[in-house]
Amino acid sequence: MRIVIDPTRCHGHGTCAALLEEYMELDKWHYPLVHNDKLRDVHLESAKRAVQLCPELAIKIVDN
Amino acid sequence: MNESVSTSIMAPSGSRRLSLSWETSLRTGNPDISYAGDFELRSKSRVTLAEHISNYGRIPTGLSLNMIIETLRVANLTGRGGARFPMYRKIDAVANARTKKAIYIVANGSESEPLSRKDSSLLRANPHLVLDGMSIIAEVLGAKAGYIYVKDKEAHVAINAALRERRDRGINEVRVSVVEAPPGYVSGQETSVVRRIERGPALPRFSTDRLATSGIKGAPTLLSNVETFANAALILRFGGDWYRSGGVGYDSGTRLLTISGSVARPGVYEVNPGVSVAALLREAGASSVRALLVGGYFGGWINVRDESDLNFSFDDHTLADRKLNIGAGIIGVLSKDTCPVVEAAGIVEYLSRQSAGQCGPCVFGLPEISTAFARIALSSNVEKGIAELRSVIPLVEHRGGCQHPDGVIGLVRSTVGAFGDEIKLHKSGNCSVVGVNHRSVLLPTPKMNSGMSSIGGK
Ligand code: SF4
Ligand code: SF4
Repeated sequence: MRIVIDPTRCHGHGTCAALLEEYMELDKWHYPLVHNDKLRDVHLESAKRAVQLCPELAIKIVDN
Repeated sequence: MNESVSTSIMAPSGSRRLSLSWETSLRTGNPDISYAGDFELRSKSRVTLAEHISNYGRIPTGLSLNMIIETLRVANLTGRGGARFPMYRKIDAVANARTKKAIYIVANGSESEPLSRKDSSLLRANPHLVLDGMSIIAEVLGAKAGYIYVKDKEAHVAINAALRERRDRGINEVRVSVVEAPPGYVSGQETSVVRRIERGPALPRFSTDRLATSGIKGAPTLLSNVETFANAALILRFGGDWYRSGGVGYDSGTRLLTISGSVARPGVYEVNPGVSVAALLREAGASSVRALLVGGYFGGWINVRDESDLNFSFDDHTLADRKLNIGAGIIGVLSKDTCPVVEAAGIVEYLSRQSAGQCGPCVFGLPEISTAFARIALSSNVEKGIAELRSVIPLVEHRGGCQHPDGVIGLVRSTVGAFGDEIKLHKSGNCSVVGVNHRSVLLPTPKMNSGMSSIGGK
């Protein structure tokens, strides 16, 4: 599974980065910079929460 | 493969296959190069349907999907919009998309590269060839509708006139409509084309799917450049082996190029790959060449130190060896009275303004890249500019919703890589061009709302 952020939707609120610290950090403009997109099972619940909480519906969890 | 060709038709040969050189006076002395019209697209007269059929023969009918795929594979036809993807694989992917949805077919002629004129040239002169290619492929795919996406007004008129002729003649084929492409560099990106056809804004869309499986309204969509369809129309008449008789094996047929900048005869050329770059520039009337921009504004540079830097074969592999790609068939020529780094800075600044404004890293990052790059170009603080580029590029690269930011970064890298000699001069506050006017750039950077910009020969 991978975490994918649609950059055309993301407005950089940063909610996701707070929930998924192990995968991303905010850049100097406050947009999430994903350094590892391979989602591990242990973090699936946090990732699902990030998907739900993103106000722009910008996050997806995709297979492969 | 040639059964359907009437025997009175001779397969065109040499560098005049797409028949853009409608006046014989425009032939050049080199059989591998023909001049297909000037940069301003003056005196482009359209080939009528009757003329078209007498030039090339009837539109082949009754071809099977397998025959088409196999013939295009043998021909080695690749996309002429810049991506160079094999056309037969695109068709195969659309044909095999696992969906019950209708299939769409799209010819992209939007030509958003300010240095390109070949698509408008082709559409003004020979729209029937593009329509034939779409029609034949649409038929075997069972496509529901076709679209031609264009910016140039006269090309639009020419396509509509051609479509009327085809209807009047009772040609039974897929319904093709013309969709107007708005100005702007990103309006020609594949996903922008799809959104515009869906009546949305001509802005890129982020997707993890390919258009072949999920394009217009989520349906399988075959999208390629207009020149690719025109070539397909010829290949499906005269065969894959005929096509490969032009060019060099891996880069076959002919290619439309737009050559502009410091040349006496800027315009569109049809050439056989394998011809020497020096010969090409001679025909275009270039002299005292300082640099070549290859592939357009997302392309790369050749630093011309002496004549021998131009003695190489123009073809995909030889360019790839030099980390270059001809893109949409663009060569921009700079003479020795221009500083290539200053020219590049003008382009980077233009491209940073062309961001579609959708993605943070592109919106905030490209202006920073442009500012940093300007320090290098203006010889004001080269070290600082380089340090800033190093820190900002990783925050931008691969983070856009489309290829736009990566295209800009590619140009920046190529400039820094190719012109080490020039940049060294800039470090000491100098420039190889004495008294260069940093504002007057040779390569055009059109304003958002202006139509085609014009640069003539020098
Ligand atoms: S929560 Fe959504 S909008 Fe906010 S930074 Fe993350 S992806 Fe972007
Ligand atoms: S990367 Fe830039 S040009 Fe591409 S969609 Fe995002 S904002 Fe628009």
